Amino acid sequence: MSGSVTVARSLDQALDALRSGPDARLVAGGTDLMVEVNAGRWQPGTLVSVDRAPELRGWHRDGDEIVLGSGLTYAEMERGELARLVPALAQAARTVGSPQIRNAGTLGGNVVTASPAGDTLPVLTALDAVVQIAGPEGTRISPLREFVRGVKRTDLRAGEVVTAVRVPALRGAQEFLKVGTRNAMVISVVMVAVVVDLDGHTVRVGVGSAAPVPVRAPLAEEYVGALVDWERARMDDPTGEVAAQFGELVAQATSPIDDHRSTAAYRRRAVAVCAARAVRRAFQEPESP
Amino acid sequence: MNDVVRPVMQDAVAAAPTRVDGRDKVTGRARYAVEHPVEDVVWAWPVTSTVAKGRVTEIDASEANGTEGVIAVLTHANAPRLGETDDAELQLLQSDRVAYRGQVCALVVGETVESARAGADAVRVRYDEAEHDVVLDARHPAMFTPEKVNPGFPTDTSIGDPDTAFAVAAVQLDATYTTPTEHNHAMEPHATTASWGADGTLTLYDSNQGSTGVARVMADLFGLQVRAVHVISEHVGGGFGSKGTPRPNIVLAAMAAQAVGRPVRLALGRQHMFSLVGYRTPTIQRLRLGATTDGVLRSLVHDVWEQTSTLDDFAEQTAVISRMLYAAPARRTTHRLVRLDVPTPSWMRAPGEAPGSFALESAMDELAAACDLDPVELRVRNEPDVDPESGKPFSSRNLVACLREGARRFGWEQRDPTPGVRRDGRWLVGTGVASSTYPARTAPSQARMSIGSDGVVTVELNAVDIGTGSRTALTQIAAEAMDLPTDRVRLRIGDSTLPPAMIAGGSMGLTSWGSAIVKGARQLRELVGRRDGAIPEDGLEVTADTAEEVRAVSGYARHAFGAQFCEVRVDADTGEVRVPRLLGVFAVGRVINARTARSQLVGGMTMGLSMALHEEGVVDVQHGDNVNHDLAGYHIAAHADVADVDAMWLEEHDEHLNLVGAKGIGEIGIVGTAAAVANAVHHATGVRVRDLPIRVDRLLGRG
Amino acid sequence: MVRIQVTVDGQRCEDEVEPRLLLVHYLRERVGKVGTPVGCDTSNCGACTVQLDGRSVKSCAVLAVQADGSEVTTIEGLANGEWHPMQKAFKECHALQCGYCTPGMIMAAVDLLSNNPNPSEEEIRDGLEGNLCRCTGYHNIVKAVQMAAAEGGAR
Repeated sequence: MSGSVTVARSLDQALDALRSGPDARLVAGGTDLMVEVNAGRWQPGTLVSVDRAPELRGWHRDGDEIVLGSGLTYAEMERGELARLVPALAQAARTVGSPQIRNAGTLGGNVVTASPAGDTLPVLTALDAVVQIAGPEGTRISPLREFVRGVKRTDLRAGEVVTAVRVPALRGAQEFLKVGTRNAMVISVVMVAVVVDLDGHTVRVGVGSAAPVPVRAPLAEEYVGALVDWERARMDDPTGEVAAQFGELVAQATSPIDDHRSTAAYRRRAVAVCAARAVRRAFQEPESP
Repeated sequence: MNDVVRPVMQDAVAAAPTRVDGRDKVTGRARYAVEHPVEDVVWAWPVTSTVAKGRVTEIDASEANGTEGVIAVLTHANAPRLGETDDAELQLLQSDRVAYRGQVCALVVGETVESARAGADAVRVRYDEAEHDVVLDARHPAMFTPEKVNPGFPTDTSIGDPDTAFAVAAVQLDATYTTPTEHNHAMEPHATTASWGADGTLTLYDSNQGSTGVARVMADLFGLQVRAVHVISEHVGGGFGSKGTPRPNIVLAAMAAQAVGRPVRLALGRQHMFSLVGYRTPTIQRLRLGATTDGVLRSLVHDVWEQTSTLDDFAEQTAVISRMLYAAPARRTTHRLVRLDVPTPSWMRAPGEAPGSFALESAMDELAAACDLDPVELRVRNEPDVDPESGKPFSSRNLVACLREGARRFGWEQRDPTPGVRRDGRWLVGTGVASSTYPARTAPSQARMSIGSDGVVTVELNAVDIGTGSRTALTQIAAEAMDLPTDRVRLRIGDSTLPPAMIAGGSMGLTSWGSAIVKGARQLRELVGRRDGAIPEDGLEVTADTAEEVRAVSGYARHAFGAQFCEVRVDADTGEVRVPRLLGVFAVGRVINARTARSQLVGGMTMGLSMALHEEGVVDVQHGDNVNHDLAGYHIAAHADVADVDAMWLEEHDEHLNLVGAKGIGEIGIVGTAAAVANAVHHATGVRVRDLPIRVDRLLGRG
Repeated sequence: MVRIQVTVDGQRCEDEVEPRLLLVHYLRERVGKVGTPVGCDTSNCGACTVQLDGRSVKSCAVLAVQADGSEVTTIEGLANGEWHPMQKAFKECHALQCGYCTPGMIMAAVDLLSNNPNPSEEEIRDGLEGNLCRCTGYHNIVKAVQMAAAEGGAR
């Protein structure tokens, strides 16, 4: 079984190639898939390489939204105008793998792999991202919270390609924090993204590695949203109690597990700490009370 | 007689030339084991067991054999029969027995590495699975007392009545420490290119730490004369102990080449290295220290429990460090072993001393706190006059000088001993210290030395450069011993047809090889001197052998010493640990090349830092497997984990060692580092972590 | 079999390759560029780092067919002349021990300087996070990158 590879030079070519059979799989940067291939866990049946398809590359503004091509690399998220528009995504991208992986790995790959430890997912979750999909039946959209169904399980159907991810362009601070066991190339122990929407008067939080899928914390969001002075964009919290309570509420929204990287108890605590830190940073409160 | 031999102890060699092989390594020209050009070569890939214990009942290779490019599938049913050696791990494909998960149960040979791997994936193996037992536990009913511990030490030692001395001691510390399975993970995976000549000779390009022994073992396995086996190891990408003996790759490659009648390359995958090339045993260590209120030890007991496989008894010498590091009138060390359904543990950098020092040096820190004494001072107060167990004098012992000098350079004197009180923003800050030590040994080696009529000296011996810089340092030693500039010396190493020599291991490579070269140089210069310097056209040649010198019983206890000082910062909220500063001060006899020596010491310390914070082979109890079996899951320190790591050494002249005057420096850097880090973490946070690695959840979130 | 055309170290190569062939094995076994080693084949260690159209990638995580039409630079083609400044700096600073991680480390370091010609020590340590050295010579590697930066190592 030697398999075949189609290097798709357009979205249509990719969709055509996917029709060739049920074992066809897409590969973009290959940073997740090639690990499986090399570990012998998956033999290339039919691979459809989409990193040359121009429709999937780059990003653009579309009114109040930003359309992120699924072929957008982490390296592209890290820099330039996009990093200014969606700073939490840039922060998350900078913590991914290593420069070589960030040059190759893509947003679409991260979304489709749907690992609980997927670095961009907490940010996209906090932003209420919407996934754009092309397939044999045409195009459709799927909100990220519905698209990611479980550990490495998604709503993507046979023959479909994620073409883009849409996120709102928000006014307000964004923070991404990650705890790992090493300074570099860390598979996260926990991740927290906090996004402030100054116009919508909301604070949104996305948490990764602390449940089978990325989670939001509605109670925490409501709690802190009600305490923010939206005119001044400040969260008056001289003692740090508000941030701490926010952190606790975020931690309560998670359902972490024990594994070889850490314990559930530690994860819950780290989520609370990261969430409290992130919200304080977002409102430029001093880091430690 | 003219004094033609000048003393080796000279400053000339300390000028520290850069690596003689540096250029090849930075330009990609250095050739490793599977990079030497060989005609008509094919590839092999192992199939490993997916159960931890039992028997292979059926191997269905039909699909594999039908895979494009697959040439052969070897199993226990059709593989060549091997001769006996004392390493049961090398009896590959000789029986249907499965002794651990990840053991080789078939080998696929293909035209390319891709076809071999595809073939391996297509091999179907069925097992009669038995219940496995893979968890080390000090109360395991099958714990036994091994005959000896590596590399030949008594299993247990006892002096006086340590139990009574402990019971009556004013200050008592009784604590248990654990260290996990750790993997060597040299960057170059174990790899071999094997080819058989028409005359029945076997040529092997192999990645190992010394091919003299490899050639002998291969000869035994394949029923050959040693001279029919030629092992070439020009460049080796690290070993750290795991390449000290032949590994499955070389045996399998030779078998496959024999079976298919073509040269075979076999480079193990990183994931194979979790089960096929040895590892450091996990340890459970109980320390009982009884002391006076002044911190003077009255009793020292170090009990160790560790594991081996059902194939072979490998008993790591974990408590040996407690036999010589500190004085105590009553003392005892013990080692107990249990045979589990796991791969056989093996050598890993500072076997014994690395995990042993974590327990002993953590316990000493705890004792210092219990006695309200500075930990440097506590160690100074327990400095022995002679080797505590043998009663022999030390050939040189500068532990106290290392502690004092390190304390001075590190800024230790202002240290407030109170734990958990220094804060810099969200970071808790602390410092810690630990002693380092490693035996200074030498092993027999030979060197052939010749001088041509052009005055160029050729030095030949089967040393190897696994990355330490031995090519460079041996060239320096030879040049100095011959009183020639280094560009007049040609060195040939890394070839089993050269005069037999010690492996690059046990911190004995350079001292053993260097001694043979110095002895050879003396003989050669004497020969030249007898001819009044006239060198005949076909040159002059001698072969020196240090067997006699090495076997002569020394009246001295010979060890290298050092002290490591560490600063840590611990995130008060998340428990993340950072190590901004690590300083080691060592006394290691003579340093041949300051540049490569410093790299060895800093490298050892960095690996020690990695041991302290990251490295942990996690056991999958249910499947008898490793949970983490790649470098994504098994973390080793990366660039960003390391900040200011520095090593220095004291001037130390020790004439009771060997002809080079050096103690060896490959291991000592990793000894004590983990304890220094753990002690600093305690100083920073007040939390004593007795189980490596120091994980975030071990510092926080225990609730 | 797929026909690909890749320029490797300035040399144009046209080959029929199997779709599953990794770029690193293509470079080593077909083009003969064995100076690029394989360290982990799970894209963790960085030993196999090469430049693909000017960006550093781990060549064990790229299929040869994905490099069709691209330019690949390996450690063997880095020097424009005798030495690349980064190679020289690695030798001078003794930023190598066993040498197995060295080719990938140098390739990653060159890419680092092309993005950031004057990195701080911390930026170097972060920028080289994808390249493991077990020996471990991180300290000297940082010094070598600093030396190369001072001598215009971004070339």
